[in-house]
Amino acid sequence: MDVQEAVAEGTASVENGEVKRDGRKQFSMGPGDILEGKLIYDGSIHADGKVEGEVRVSGNIDVASSASVRALLEGANVTLKGQVEGAVTARDKLTLGKNAKLSGDIVVRRLQIDDGATLNGHVRMGDFESHTSGQ
Amino acid sequence: MSPTRPVSNGANGQGNSVVLGPKDRLVGQLFIEGDLHVSGTVDGSLEATGDIEISGSGKVSGAVTAYNRLVVGSDASLIGGEVRVARLTVEDGATFSGKVSMGKPEPKAEEPKPAEPEQLIQPKAKRR
Repeated sequence: MDVQEAVAEGTASVENGEVKRDGRKQFSMGPGDILEGKLIYDGSIHADGKVEGEVRVSGNIDVASSASVRALLEGANVTLKGQVEGAVTARDKLTLGKNAKLSGDIVVRRLQIDDGATLNGHVRMGDFESHTSGQ
Repeated sequence: MSPTRPVSNGANGQGNSVVLGPKDRLVGQLFIEGDLHVSGTVDGSLEATGDIEISGSGKVSGAVTAYNRLVVGSDASLIGGEVRVARLTVEDGATFSGKVSMGKPEPKAEEPKPAEPEQLIQPKAKRR
């Protein structure tokens, strides 16, 4: 894994785009940031800017409204406000905000789609008992 | 505007509105020029030129086409079908699965329709 754990416990500080909040790690991207490749991360991610590849996290995924994502996403709670192309797995809940545009197949436990969101793809609702559930 | 599209397609227009109550059941196909509210059980395909709302403990298994908007309420369920809609709302708690195809969120009815939403209407346009 290419993410450094360089932040002290408890204190909210930023280093290498990583913020600790309430003891859980958060990988936070800004609108000008670019992530290409595969990220497996024990924490949550706030995705902004451009993301391409694959993102699997034990926590939540939050895609900002200005983000452009072409990636496979997997997280506990996934909240999309921007544009996403690719399969999405939400072990708990997937929320599509009113400006979200998602094309890709989704597997979710719970689903909320706000009016205004665009979705193109297959939707499957299932349970994730024996899956890589969040630590 | 497409000639095949009724002038009004909203809940308050002159298009009719059909309600399937909690004790109602439908097996087969239904095409409604207007809106459709389902809180009963449907096994088959639904198509409406306006909105379709599956509410209460409504359960739909099959294809759903709404030329305007589809709402799936928090206790409702829509399973297994092909879903073609212009706008979609799925409330938290709803059961929802299937293949979803959406155009752009449709502009106001009086605006000229670009080619894309037209495609949503075309396949069934001959039915009238």
